[in-house]
Amino acid sequence: MLTEKAKLMNMLSAEQFAAWELHLYLDTHPCDKNAVRMHEKHSARAKELREEYEKKYGPLTTRTGEGCEWVKAPWPWEKGE
Amino acid sequence: MWIYEKKLQYPVKIKNPNPAYAKIIMDQYGGPDGELGASLRYLSQRYSMPCNELKGLLTDIGTEELAHFEMIGAMIYQLTRNLSCEEIRKQGFDAYFVTHTTGVYAAASSGTPWTASYIQTKGDVLADLHEDLAAEQKARVTYDNILRLIDDPDILDPIKFLREREIVHYQRFGEGLRIATDTLDSKNYYLYNPSFDKPVK
Repeated sequence: MLTEKAKLMNMLSAEQFAAWELHLYLDTHPCDKNAVRMHEKHSARAKELREEYEKKYGPLTTRTGEGCEWVKAPWPWEKGE
Repeated sequence: MWIYEKKLQYPVKIKNPNPAYAKIIMDQYGGPDGELGASLRYLSQRYSMPCNELKGLLTDIGTEELAHFEMIGAMIYQLTRNLSCEEIRKQGFDAYFVTHTTGVYAAASSGTPWTASYIQTKGDVLADLHEDLAAEQKARVTYDNILRLIDDPDILDPIKFLREREIVHYQRFGEGLRIATDTLDSKNYYLYNPSFDKPVK
């Protein structure tokens, strides 16, 4: 069973992945308006989920948190939840 | 510059340690067709690319490869937790252990340390992009071989994700090659070396 934290992380990763995949596509198809729209949609959703995750579980970058929170929360290669 | 995001691109949660599997997967950490070489190859080749699409593509794929390097590192780390000396000996991890304990080191499965001679920057868009296309296929084959040797679903899931990324990157590099040949002199692609000569008008 996935924890709430892992579920939210998976949702965030899925949206980030969709946005990233579209971003790579746009490197070679920069004028594809439909892909630009889809990229905007997934990026916006990823941003919302990231803010929600960071509020509950601590910062994901040093731009969104520092010090105690940044250092003490588990590191991504540690599987413990 | 780069910003670190404190998460993996795709989850890695391996329940059962297995140093023999760690050694197999290590090939994609520091082996000839691994993620470290992929990242440094693309991030170095990008400077001499003749058009912006290709500079973007190499920067972005080179960046994603670093995230894959981290996923493989996480897999090696999780597969070598809480081992007994007996398990290390029995599963053929002793030669690695004596040099690195259970630290994660960039070497091939055979133990050969990572070397920059695995990669090239030729400073020529056609030569470099063809190397990149080949590199993605070689990495895909390595993942195919890993999938043949391992039967733990906790490992197979992220390995399958990484294998698919090789195929997507190959597709994007193919499009990049098309953009390059459209940009170069269509009568003779080989007329000049874009990192050195001025284009012939």
